[in-house]
Amino acid sequence: MIEERFKSVLIWIGYVFIAVFCLTPFLYMIVISLSSSPDFLTKLGEIEFSFKNYYSVLTSKSLHFVDYLRNSIIVSGVSAFFCIIIAGFAAYSITRLDLPGKMLILFLVLAVSMFPQISLVGYLFKFMSSLGWINTYFALIFPYIAWILPLSLWILVSYFAQIPKDLDKAALIDGCTRWQILLKVIFPVAAPGIFSVSLLSFIFAFNEFMFALMLTIDYRSRTIPVGIALFQGLHGEIPWGNIMAGSTIAVIPVVLLTIIFQRYIIQGLTRGSIKG
Amino acid sequence: MFRKSFILMISLFMILFAGCRRTEEAITFAVGGAPNEIEFWETLVKEFTRQTGIKVNILRQPTDTDQRRQGLVISLKSRKADPDVFLMDVAWVAQFGASEWLEPLDDYIKNENMNLDVFFNRVVNLVDRYNGGLIALPVYIDGGVLYYRKDLLRKYGYSEPPETWDKLVDCALKVQKDMRNINPNFYGFLWQGAQYEGLVCNWIEFAASNGGGIILRDGKIKLNLPSNIEAVQFMYDLIHTYKISPPNTFTEMKEEEVRMSFQKGDALFERNWPYAWALHQSEDSYVKGKVDIAPLPHFPSGKSVSTLGGWHIGISKYSDAKSKAFKFLKFVVSYETQKKLALKLGWNPGRKDVYNDNEVLERLPHLAKLKNVFENALPRPNLPYYTQISEILQHYINAAIAGKLTPEVALSQAEKEAQNVIERYERK
Amino acid sequence: MSYRTFSEAKQSYTFILPLIIFILAFILLPVVGTFINSFFRDISFLQRKFIMFGNYKQLFNDPGFYGAIRFTILFIVVSVTIEIILGLIFALILNETIPFRGFLRACVLLPWAIPSAISARLWELIYNYNYGLANFICIKSGISTGPINWLGSSVGAFFGLVIADVWKTTPFVTIILLAGLSAIPTELYLQAKVDGTNFLQRFYKITMPLLKPVLVVALLFRTIDALRIFDLIYVLTHGGPGGATTSLSLYAYKYYLAGDFGYGSAVSVILFVISFTLSIIYIKLARFGESGI
Repeated sequence: MIEERFKSVLIWIGYVFIAVFCLTPFLYMIVISLSSSPDFLTKLGEIEFSFKNYYSVLTSKSLHFVDYLRNSIIVSGVSAFFCIIIAGFAAYSITRLDLPGKMLILFLVLAVSMFPQISLVGYLFKFMSSLGWINTYFALIFPYIAWILPLSLWILVSYFAQIPKDLDKAALIDGCTRWQILLKVIFPVAAPGIFSVSLLSFIFAFNEFMFALMLTIDYRSRTIPVGIALFQGLHGEIPWGNIMAGSTIAVIPVVLLTIIFQRYIIQGLTRGSIKG
Repeated sequence: MFRKSFILMISLFMILFAGCRRTEEAITFAVGGAPNEIEFWETLVKEFTRQTGIKVNILRQPTDTDQRRQGLVISLKSRKADPDVFLMDVAWVAQFGASEWLEPLDDYIKNENMNLDVFFNRVVNLVDRYNGGLIALPVYIDGGVLYYRKDLLRKYGYSEPPETWDKLVDCALKVQKDMRNINPNFYGFLWQGAQYEGLVCNWIEFAASNGGGIILRDGKIKLNLPSNIEAVQFMYDLIHTYKISPPNTFTEMKEEEVRMSFQKGDALFERNWPYAWALHQSEDSYVKGKVDIAPLPHFPSGKSVSTLGGWHIGISKYSDAKSKAFKFLKFVVSYETQKKLALKLGWNPGRKDVYNDNEVLERLPHLAKLKNVFENALPRPNLPYYTQISEILQHYINAAIAGKLTPEVALSQAEKEAQNVIERYERK
Repeated sequence: MSYRTFSEAKQSYTFILPLIIFILAFILLPVVGTFINSFFRDISFLQRKFIMFGNYKQLFNDPGFYGAIRFTILFIVVSVTIEIILGLIFALILNETIPFRGFLRACVLLPWAIPSAISARLWELIYNYNYGLANFICIKSGISTGPINWLGSSVGAFFGLVIADVWKTTPFVTIILLAGLSAIPTELYLQAKVDGTNFLQRFYKITMPLLKPVLVVALLFRTIDALRIFDLIYVLTHGGPGGATTSLSLYAYKYYLAGDFGYGSAVSVILFVISFTLSIIYIKLARFGESGI
């Protein structure tokens, strides 16, 4: 039917549009990272392509790029790890144990996830400076854990709620403590959920900007987003090649995780935002 | 089980803690700038260590001045012991001093028998003092100057660069009209008009050379003055009426944009900082050997004014190695170091005596002319909240030269808002 | 299951305690702290003093503050509208049986996955006046005769931000709407096809009504998120040119940087109140069904 044809054509146009819309900036980033000059569009014939930018970004000590990368990975990893443990325990008690005020806690946590970061960061800065933690990993890890807990909690609650309570009952009868039930029964069964939460937690912590901007000073604890944002070169001449090379390197882990585990990410986001 | 995870967590924390150890032996020096400048500081620091045995770690900051300030503000506000010593833009010394983040230097100066007269006195007294006490010293000085194409002036029959603004306009119109036949991108006069701090520096040079500027008296600010209105009108006219300044002056023109245009040969006059001189004389510059420097022109009733820029060195109040830091400070402002700064980086020393050095004068002959300019350079108001006043000025002056507001309206609005800021921050 | 022993009750509390502590200490405490601080004159170079509503009085006479509000609202309206529409279109396409659906899904997720700061830097290059991709496309395709001054003009910067934000956050809207779409039973469509409707009619009569609750959720969620926008603006335009693109978050931050923590806190509190109000509406509207908790 004509209508079917029309619809197919529309869909194909849409398909191409989506792919082009989403991917073009990435392709641009990669091309510039390999070029000897950011001017490549206008001077197409004169540009050389090489890995020079990558080399200089990774080896130049004063640029501290590798430090930023290391800081980001450690901070995100540690934050995500503790976040899952804390959220896991909390989700268990909410779904399994008769906790008075559990709905209140859930909604409180939901409301908290929508707080503007700027409303926290001012006082957080003072708090951290009084502890002497500014420019250390602690200044980032603790707020990050708190910041990613709400989403993690909601996702885990939605996964745990679907695990039949009979499993618990059976384990209780066998004489397990709640601890053991959580770690030996629930976690394995909810593994996909745990995995989603780990991915999302890591990604959120990795991408975080404002806290890192205000609570860190230099390469000792600064993370990649802030490092790339503040990347400067000579007087006003911005080294786009280096910036794009650094960005590409920084983005590779997240891109790979997203492509390979997209199903888990989508599931996690969906459960965390709308119910059922 | 519980015990195992507890131990695991403790060990994780210890690993993290390990990364936070700081060596108490060395002092940390925070400085930003272009890669060649950083390289220079690194060699300098090695020399210092060789002479005194004190180790110095360089904390490299971004090039952008706002980001350098941000890094320092965060460190100082959180009372970190690092960095011990750092460079400050002349515009923030007041904020840092008033926030009591800088270690007073008078006692150290006395103990080390340093003579302060060798520095530009006006600069030191207007910028480096808070409540009478000394809190910083100048490392290098900047002041706006007029660059001009001496070859073109000679070609069109001018023996000297113009001393007043209207003479500049006449000269530029004549040359531009003729040069446009060969070079359609040629403009008579390039200056920084984009909406940023540089605009305020430029405006001050126009306005104060007419007897105006930022007038502060008895806790009141006056901007809406006939001299200022005339100056802003003149800036507008340069772009829209005489058309000797390009239309993107108020959208894009900052230091580098102006310098690069002039260096390509697209302009007769340029207002810029002294740093451009070395670049104009570089091998691949079209204007190499064709440029000279002069003090900026003025209005008939006034005198030539140059806005004071530059960087100063200070010690953190929270430093844990103050005497070592002061030794480094003394080293940086010493005659030998300042001479190296001039010869290697083309910077203008904060010490007057270096300007008389033969070697320096041979390499940088224009420094003789500049010494006079710097002695009379006008600093921006020495207020801790200057950046907020500046933002108001930037906004309104840019709107006026863009033609969005008349000079009178722009200046009177700016005055009102600036007064609000003053009242807020001056209330004890 | 209900309490059988006191120890069981204690256990359920210990399980949830770490979460409570973290949220209390690192989120609620800072918010309260900021709230309290807004009543003080807290400037780095002046004596700290309690001034009650002093900061707020100044705020209500501050044209910069109103400018930030105007910009934030305009940004939200334009940006979120485009994201919802575009997200809906993307979701509709992804909902169909298309080859390499996984590839397209991954494409759609990528902009969301990368740090906003890196995305902003990328767009900064794209909008470069002399050699950026945006001007290249505009000139080559004839959309404009000369290079557009994206980041140097207030209109250009505004739309530059909108486009960059749409690029980054449409994926999220798409995912949410896609989930909503896949919850619509296909029997409804089959039945409607049998009844002889065309796909536009099916869209309006079946898809939209059933998708509405999800749309509302996505709309509110994105609005609350767009309200607090900071990363993109800080990196791409710094709030410029001349404060034209300063969001409320950025406005507060600028005061923090100038050493005026009291005033910055006041701005943050206002933003918080607006955001919190919207959040309550969101939670009430979303009306989560509590199956099995």
